[in-house]
Amino acid sequence: MPSAESKADSALTVEGVAVRFGGVAALSDANLSVRAGTVTGLIGPNGAGKTTLFNVISGLQSPDRGTVHLFDTDITKMKPHRRARLGLARTFQRLELFGTLSAGENVQVGLESSVRWWQWRHVKRTFPWAKGGVPSADGVPEGQPTGPGSVAVATSERILEGVGLGGLGAEQSSAMPTGLARMVELARALAMAPKILLLDEPGSGLDDAESQALGELLTTLAKGGMGVLLVEHDMELVMRICDYIYVLDFGDVIASGTPEEIRRDPMVQAAYLGTVSDAGDGLASVATQSELEPTGSDTSDAATDTITDHGGDQVVEA
Amino acid sequence: MNNFLQFTVFGIMLGAGYAIAATGLVVTYTTSGVFNFAQGAVGMIAAFGYWELVSVHHVPILAALVIVLILGASIAGAFVERVLMRRLHGASAERPVMVTLGLMVILTGMATILWSPTTQRTVEPMITGQFRLVGINIQDQYVLIIGVAIAVAIGLRALFYSTRTGYALRAVVDDPDLLGMSGVSPNRMSQYGWILGFMMAALSGLLLAPTQTTGISIEAMTLLVVSGYAAAIVGRLKNIPVTFAAAIAIGLAENYVLNYVEPHLSSSLQTDVTSALPMVFLFIALVTLPSVRLRAVGRLTSMRAPRVATGRESLVAGGAFLAVAVVAAFAFADTNVKGTTLLTLGGMVMCLGIVGLSLVLLTGYSGQVSLCQFSFMGIGAFVMGKAAGGGSLLGLVAATAICAGVGALIALPTIRLSDLYLALATFAFADAVATGFFADGRIYGAGGLTIGRIVLPGVSLGSDTAEFILVTVFFVLSALLVLAIRRSLFGRRLVAVNDSPAAYATVGLNIGFTKVAVFAIAAAMAGLAGALYGTVQQIVGTTDFDIFPGIIFVLFVTIWSIRTVSGAFLAALTYVALNQIWPSSIGIFAGMGVILIGRAANGILGIDALHVRLPWVKSPAAVDQSGPLTAFGGAALASEGTRAVG
Repeated sequence: MPSAESKADSALTVEGVAVRFGGVAALSDANLSVRAGTVTGLIGPNGAGKTTLFNVISGLQSPDRGTVHLFDTDITKMKPHRRARLGLARTFQRLELFGTLSAGENVQVGLESSVRWWQWRHVKRTFPWAKGGVPSADGVPEGQPTGPGSVAVATSERILEGVGLGGLGAEQSSAMPTGLARMVELARALAMAPKILLLDEPGSGLDDAESQALGELLTTLAKGGMGVLLVEHDMELVMRICDYIYVLDFGDVIASGTPEEIRRDPMVQAAYLGTVSDAGDGLASVATQSELEPTGSDTSDAATDTITDHGGDQVVEA
Repeated sequence: MNNFLQFTVFGIMLGAGYAIAATGLVVTYTTSGVFNFAQGAVGMIAAFGYWELVSVHHVPILAALVIVLILGASIAGAFVERVLMRRLHGASAERPVMVTLGLMVILTGMATILWSPTTQRTVEPMITGQFRLVGINIQDQYVLIIGVAIAVAIGLRALFYSTRTGYALRAVVDDPDLLGMSGVSPNRMSQYGWILGFMMAALSGLLLAPTQTTGISIEAMTLLVVSGYAAAIVGRLKNIPVTFAAAIAIGLAENYVLNYVEPHLSSSLQTDVTSALPMVFLFIALVTLPSVRLRAVGRLTSMRAPRVATGRESLVAGGAFLAVAVVAAFAFADTNVKGTTLLTLGGMVMCLGIVGLSLVLLTGYSGQVSLCQFSFMGIGAFVMGKAAGGGSLLGLVAATAICAGVGALIALPTIRLSDLYLALATFAFADAVATGFFADGRIYGAGGLTIGRIVLPGVSLGSDTAEFILVTVFFVLSALLVLAIRRSLFGRRLVAVNDSPAAYATVGLNIGFTKVAVFAIAAAMAGLAGALYGTVQQIVGTTDFDIFPGIIFVLFVTIWSIRTVSGAFLAALTYVALNQIWPSSIGIFAGMGVILIGRAANGILGIDALHVRLPWVKSPAAVDQSGPLTAFGGAALASEGTRAVG
């Protein structure tokens, strides 16, 4: 259970969460906290309960017991869209894109999520003869033209550019390869300028270079003040970018600590590889890899600029 | 006391008949993931076939049972699985609903051709005689029905949970490929499921037909098992014992209401209650019970959305359409087709076109299946006829507003339902309104409800020509509205909520609000269409907004394209034309069409081979490859050649 001290400066706090599916306990007593400005890892074997925990945090699954707090607000019984409006965004292990929409439109949906379409000033822009672009969440002044030149579209393009998808805004998202589609999901989440970002295996489907770039992007986002909770099987990535790691196994947090502490934890090694000696070798190799110098990339900086700009005046209408 | 016992025995017998139909639904759903809307129609065909063999051709009862139940039902079940259902694997979620609805209207259409609805047919019980028990008379036929129902429930339970075939039957819908790897043919298992389901449907039809003391009718027999739908929903489409118990409870409740409540109602209300009761049960079951996660027939194929016209293109096309319509209005002012003026038929096309547009918005964009748009049309026509003496602009406004309100009221309890459950709820609402409201002689009146042409100060709209131009203007404005919505922020949200409700909620958007809003808007459009339809026809009757025409129209929109404005117009045109030329076969055309379209999500208009790029339509924008595509494979994708969707 998170200590009183850690809870005080925690942006996201999960306490004593349990979820059962029939006779199976997906989560028994899960506790974790995520601080703003850090990347927190959540690792564990398949079936450990990581995605279930993400679903509980984002509101897609009700816990049988336990609480979830976003800063000081108890969000345990809050609907998913209300949690998102408080600054909680996520991606999914199994892609959840708006497949009929283009990549840019996917991002626009996130960008404009706080706009109330039924207000007359937005309704009147529906008609072809109306002047004025759809305002985006970063405070677009009214009177912008609609269509490809609108500020909302331009902002979505900037965000896509930030995750390395510049120029692909018009691409139908369901036609994209998995790696790119994951980045569209990430861009859509970032468009909401979240305070807490939950990422469920964002690295699957990415090659080494892409994974490297993703790591840098997440580190930069955290430096900007965002709290990132990362579920990932790419241990090299986790060990390299996470400030703190929780290990989940059979629905319980069996260990937590810095990457170095986790690497040496015998329970973690046993949970991952079955035997302590074998596991020790495996995680040791991860340690060696994580000492590699990261290669430079400007994508993360571009994304940070975009998110910072965009997030500065977040939420036109709550 | 004796009366109560008599009603109870009859109620249990009725419930047992429902239970057989309901377990058939559960069997089909468990083994294929498809809810067979044609279950009642299969039972109806079995009952009529049995009547034909026994009463007309004097075939012995046992031989007739073998022919109908063993040969007919099993061959039909195997055929439907092989020809209709197997090719739907991977189709969008609403497609199996449409195909089984198509099958239902084909069977009812065929029955109408084979057995004239005007002839009375009575099916004799298979066994006659009765005995007395605790002071009441019990017919042997009742015992037969109850005994067969119990045997079927126990037998199916044993089959599914105690045999290897049963395990395979249950596994096939979860992962057919995995089942195939274990040496069992998934296709064969699905086929067994459909055969069993069809046999259950036929059995329920055969057993319930003799209870229709006034004779069997095509529509009544087809809808007789709707109470079975409610039982299957209570059993959550998987639990046979619960389904059985629910069916018995529904049978009892229906019979108690019939005998204890109805006698205290006025005579006209009695008919309303009797007719609407099964649908009311179904609606209550749907909105009160927790919904289960429904299974898709297969993995959803990634669908390419039809291109959405730009604002300028919409205005040009709308203007051109209107100009052609005005010229046609004057050119064909005096033309008649089978006693109806061409302009009246054209006006009907425009009105139904607006209903089609409401389906584009509701089903095409936001993915909510509605089978009750004709009900809103009927309510709109009723309001138009009653408000301000009929034929006023106020009536149009009132019809639109009231239907929006009713639509929101219907949507509120059903927003948590998806795909099949929503289709069933709207099906129940449509039939309950048709049988319990529209069929009431006091609603439209014995000779129909008269609705005048719209009167505007200083403008004469009394002629067919003026009326046609007026409804065409409304159609064009509705089309422009639908396209404008699709291009808007709200339109993106409609598509998004359909594509991924989970993602929709986690980006901060309220699923419930969006669904209620679009349902209300679509209901308002259908209400407006109904009001205009009234002004075109000038008189509307009890059967104009029945459930079957409503379903047939939805099928035509699906066939052409439920995602495009042109699909809505062509569906209306086809419906009115076929209804004028071959009214008795229109259901067969609709059913065959939707079956032939199969899994093509965008209908006929979405078939690539038919695409002709019009010279004034812009080419899809080329992907700008100058962006920073250095990470995440962007460059690789761009070099593969990409396409854009507007």
